[in-house]
Amino acid sequence: MWSAAYGLIALAVVAFVVHYAALHTPDLAPVNLADQLYNAKKWLADNLPSLPRTDSPAHFVASSGNIVKVRVVNVAVSGRSFPIRLPIGYKLAKSDNNLLYELYLDVFSCRSVALQGGAAATLYVIQLRHSLSHLPWLEVYAAVPRDPAQYYSWLYEQYAAWGRPPTVGLDPRIGADADIGLVDYVKAEWALVYDAASGATTLYVAAPPPAPYVLVVDYPLTIPLACPR
Amino acid sequence: MIAFRDILIFAGLAALAAAVIASLFPAGEGVSPVPACSDCAFKLTGGYWIRQYGNYASFYHGTREAARYGWAYIDGFPLNIGEIMGCDPMYVHVLDGVAYVSCRGGDGPAFGRRVLPSAPWVVYISVDPSRPGCTYVVDAAVNESATIQLYVYDESGRLVYSASSPSPATFTVNVPVAGTYRMHVYAPPLLDQWYTLQARVSITATKAAVYTGDNTQDLRSSIALKIFDLTDYWKRGYASVTVRINPAGASFTLSAPAGAFADYLLAWEDCGGCPCDATKDLYKDEVWRLTFTPSGPVFTHIYSQGGYWHEVYADGQLIYVWKKDGPKNDRYTGSDPVISVKFVSQDSSMNAEATFTKVCSWR
Repeated sequence: MWSAAYGLIALAVVAFVVHYAALHTPDLAPVNLADQLYNAKKWLADNLPSLPRTDSPAHFVASSGNIVKVRVVNVAVSGRSFPIRLPIGYKLAKSDNNLLYELYLDVFSCRSVALQGGAAATLYVIQLRHSLSHLPWLEVYAAVPRDPAQYYSWLYEQYAAWGRPPTVGLDPRIGADADIGLVDYVKAEWALVYDAASGATTLYVAAPPPAPYVLVVDYPLTIPLACPR
Repeated sequence: MIAFRDILIFAGLAALAAAVIASLFPAGEGVSPVPACSDCAFKLTGGYWIRQYGNYASFYHGTREAARYGWAYIDGFPLNIGEIMGCDPMYVHVLDGVAYVSCRGGDGPAFGRRVLPSAPWVVYISVDPSRPGCTYVVDAAVNESATIQLYVYDESGRLVYSASSPSPATFTVNVPVAGTYRMHVYAPPLLDQWYTLQARVSITATKAAVYTGDNTQDLRSSIALKIFDLTDYWKRGYASVTVRINPAGASFTLSAPAGAFADYLLAWEDCGGCPCDATKDLYKDEVWRLTFTPSGPVFTHIYSQGGYWHEVYADGQLIYVWKKDGPKNDRYTGSDPVISVKFVSQDSSMNAEATFTKVCSWR
């Protein structure tokens, strides 16, 4: 009886010592930013097509967390008119252990311009905010339909099959239209301009006029953005 | 025979001894040693401080240098050379040998700023020009799930519109009658905003004046066209209104129009120098009514008289003549949101024109 009690007391003392030592030992956590950044972006890339979408600009601003801003427009193709949704803004956030990855993209304006060589182009002016001080490793592609009529017919098939407007570039998943040979991704000309006075970064993209959307790539995260006209 | 209880007792005594010995080292109390690593995160307690040198940053405990790193950043900003900082506890992230230090706590990621805009509430107001009257589209959202309520009150404080919808909400507020309205967008406790909606018809006119009641003066030297704004009478529920327009008290009685946004009686005088005993005929040479209806502004003829010839124009188009050859249209329907009317007389000094523009604004 007494020896069991001594044993319990001894156990309690051991537990106290172990606990005390653990509290006063520095806790080393590994930091591997490259992997964490990749994991955060991969998670966003995997979840992008299933993120909530809103066509209310107020909700886009007020919401916290991942959301896609869309605009509903009607397109007419071969005598049929049907609605499609254009993705025009993103609020993306994902934290992985030591790292917070946040990306804000919003198509500010979109207009036709002439390039230096005289070619026509669509100029996207995109507001960009990025949580990391290093500039993102950006690539921008324009999705050019091989046959616009065929491309919009394919969108109509999706609209008819689902009974809801498809989102250009995002539905059914990113790159689906390229995989079945409807669009080609061509490198778009782009420039990233940082305004130190306002702290705002603007991404200018010149895309060929028939392109329904551009793809902003921060590998492996690929984000379609359409022209809200 | 060594029993389990003997092992327990021995372990307990050993632990007691270890605890007593550990407590004899006061220097170790509450102080954590600085690990040396190139990519790691840790928390330091016990009064460490940092001094930045030209090519390295030193972590000191008291006067003893505990560790060196490439450079020290405090909350994202690098220390200047010679600068000193310290706090307890201190949270340190080391990346490629550079120390990122924060005093605010270890919760949350250390790399990356919060950049996403997120307002507790947002209200966007826009005007839908394709609808009659003034139609405001109110897009409102709060950053948590809540029900947004919207109330619109007129000048007398009467509730003219109310709706509620879960956030994000889009309300279509149609203001059928011109006036100033107060709009309350309400989602307690986050959103409690008041806006003023001004739905009105803006009038720019030459040789004309606008009245909201009778005007019986002879103002021919400056005013040929008297415009009587009747909108407020219809809003207050009058079935008909009699407007007196000249010194002799000549009057016109108008009945309430159905569904009008704004309503005006236009009384015009064609002669600047006619004798004053003709006061009973003043300002009734052309009498017209201008009503903003849901299908657009409607300009209708009520009465004509006078010795001089007249021409009446609407949107630059001759629609009515008096004592002259020309069209005799009693009614002209313009298109929203603007109509201009013009009265031309043989006495050109009395020519008058007015432009009526529907304006939907808010602030």
